[in-house]
Amino acid sequence: MSLVAEAFVSQIAGKVPFIHVGNQVVSELGPIVQFVKAKGHSLSDRLDEVQKAEMKAYMELVNNMLLTAELYLQWCDEATVGEITHARYGSPYPWPLNHILAYQKQWEVKRKMKAIGWGKKTLDQVLEDVDQCCQALSQRLGTQPYFFNKQPTELDALVFGHLYTILTTQLTNDELSEKVKNYSNLLAFCRRIEQHYFEDHGRGRLS
Amino acid sequence: MAAPLELSCWGGGWGLPSVHSESLVVMAYAKFSGAPLKVNVIDNTWRGSRGDVPVLATEDNIVSQPAKILNFLRKQKYNADYELSAKQGADTLAYIALLEEKLLPAVLHTFWVESDNYFTVTKPWFASRMPFPLSLILPGRMSKGALNRILLTRGEPPLYHLREVEAQIYRDAKECLNLLSNRLGTSQFFFGDTPCTLDAYVFGFLAPLYKVRFPKVQLQEHLKQLSNLCRFCDDILNSYFRLSLGVDG
Repeated sequence: MSLVAEAFVSQIAGKVPFIHVGNQVVSELGPIVQFVKAKGHSLSDRLDEVQKAEMKAYMELVNNMLLTAELYLQWCDEATVGEITHARYGSPYPWPLNHILAYQKQWEVKRKMKAIGWGKKTLDQVLEDVDQCCQALSQRLGTQPYFFNKQPTELDALVFGHLYTILTTQLTNDELSEKVKNYSNLLAFCRRIEQHYFEDHGRGRLS
Repeated sequence: MAAPLELSCWGGGWGLPSVHSESLVVMAYAKFSGAPLKVNVIDNTWRGSRGDVPVLATEDNIVSQPAKILNFLRKQKYNADYELSAKQGADTLAYIALLEEKLLPAVLHTFWVESDNYFTVTKPWFASRMPFPLSLILPGRMSKGALNRILLTRGEPPLYHLREVEAQIYRDAKECLNLLSNRLGTSQFFFGDTPCTLDAYVFGFLAPLYKVRFPKVQLQEHLKQLSNLCRFCDDILNSYFRLSLGVDG
């Protein structure tokens, strides 16, 4: 199976964030951080204690809102599940395993949603939460190049990973990516990171 | 005149107006923002669904979940955050996420999963405020719900065993407490001299952990070493809840 499809499958299997970079696919936060580090920049060592606390708090916000919203959209929105997720998740496997695994995953995700109180949320409410999260990120970023001014940190890597995934993944509706696009500084932030760190591997997908 | 706002929530003890974190968050926010709430403490005679508590009832609305209740109060012009900058508002959301992800699992565990604590303190307390036969069923259900939440959100590979999950959640909670303590420093509240939403959330999560007398107390011991957080809780109790404490023991 092509690398792109494999990446998409692993991404929608819940292992977000991932970056598709030309022929390279980097998934999960750890490798992304290593990737960014390998480009010659240090991360959060220079932050003081209060800034480290802030960074951790914002990382939890992203996990809490964006990651959960992504999972919700992939697995709890019936339209998306029916048209895209179900088929893609099961595609590496033969019948009937493809259906069984997809249903099992959907059941697991729904259980988790219920446990954290997202079980009764409608799509609109989820989109509102995403909007609130993006607004907070946008306000925190302001006009700086990165969240902690001149140098990127783990937070920048995490935010980039999620926003990039949202902006470039095709789903049944574009509302999720539209929410992100409302915030021009977040869009610029993603473009900037894509260009700085991944441009040697071919043209970016955001431009 | 504004329609009366009635809050139904779990009652207090050990010097607290409520032992339930979410109820406490709402009560604290109401005090900070000046919202005139009539507080109905749940006891055996209360007929509503206890799963949704705390619940705010107005003339035409019923609102549950702390975030929604606080939003509703803000729309009614009871806004404790109006002096915050946009960045401080964003920080508030981020710190609340930190509390829910890193501190809440261990608080849930301390109250509902750790057997000594659950059977000697939590279960009897809650059961005494429910009518028979609900008192036999609901505490167990709440305990299972807490365990479920912990396992579903934190019990992911490579942590498979409950023991490992427990160790990890307590580590995270202690780190979270340290971060909060660093962030608060010597200030009275998290954003200056007046309390706002974040203070309500931190107070709601911390105060029960600080005050309720449990047999197994590792997280409590850690919290007590962070004197500025303890001072924070005591200040709020003394300034905002002193008058109402005479009623409930």
